[in-house]
Amino acid sequence: MRPFLLKLGATALTLGATLASVLYVTAHLKNPSAPLQPIVLASHQGGSVGGVTITPGVRKGDVQPVTSTYAS
Amino acid sequence: MRHRSSVEAHHFEALGTSCSLFGLGVTRSQLLQGEFWVRELRARITRFSDRSELALLNGAEGAWVDVSAEMEALLWEALRAYELSAGLVNAAVLPSMLAIGYTRSLAAGASTAKLEDARPAPRLPDVLSVQRGRARLELGCGVDLGGIAKGWMADRLAARLGSNALANLGGDLRANGPGPNGDGWPVGFAGVTVMLRDQGAATSSVRRRRWGDLHHLIDPRTGLPSQTGLEEVSVVAATGCDAEVVAKTALLLGPGLATAYCAAHAQAWWLS
Repeated sequence: MRPFLLKLGATALTLGATLASVLYVTAHLKNPSAPLQPIVLASHQGGSVGGVTITPGVRKGDVQPVTSTYAS
Repeated sequence: MRHRSSVEAHHFEALGTSCSLFGLGVTRSQLLQGEFWVRELRARITRFSDRSELALLNGAEGAWVDVSAEMEALLWEALRAYELSAGLVNAAVLPSMLAIGYTRSLAAGASTAKLEDARPAPRLPDVLSVQRGRARLELGCGVDLGGIAKGWMADRLAARLGSNALANLGGDLRANGPGPNGDGWPVGFAGVTVMLRDQGAATSSVRRRRWGDLHHLIDPRTGLPSQTGLEEVSVVAATGCDAEVVAKTALLLGPGLATAYCAAHAQAWWLS
């Protein structure tokens, strides 16, 4: 009787974990705050300025730059 | 809390381009020492001098040679850049550089090109071996570190200058710390201003360092100057060296793949 209960418990645990994973992934699909979301999706929300694509990891400023990147 | 204090700045010509150092809480002497560090390291890694460390490595004909800690670190960085770029940023393009006539500083003018001598570059990990304090190149191979050196040096120079400093070596730059007003260092980036904090930026272009129909950016797949349809790419990334590698890789990938690559590896980008 006891081995049967152990098997039943393990099966229930596995099914429960699978179901929880499915629910989590489904709930976070295409959610910008979801973990491991490709940064390019966020960049569309961050916007493109004068042909420049800026992701949320970079802040735009409105002050005079002290220097710049350029071809040399 | 926002804080304001004056930025100490120093500008000089080195590495065949214009360089600028900025810092808060740094002395004029520290900035001058930064310039000296650039000049001293440049003398060791240039391929335009027969006595440089790089020239000794390139001319060792397959033998192991002793290298300084900085040269060792740069060579490791070249191998890392090769991996990060899936082989597109390949320091082993020296034979092609020589074939297109880039045999000396362009200030002295390019020499006659022998394009028939240009050939696809070998896989860098196959021809470059690096161990603690020494390195070895396969016979007949040569490396040029110009593709990564400025970004790598900017990263180290900014760190040497303290916790709130910016080093810009010919457009390849690294900004550390909160900047002059606490919200990052304001940096011009393809016509807009971005506030960089513990980030790097770089531009790769075929519009400069060119002569006739040729330019300095070699596509290692062909051994010839890149012709992908992109002429200039600017990138913001975690470090100056990463920005330099990503910008160069995107330019070599061309317009079809550059956006996807930048989306995976850059924090901001501009393609032209």
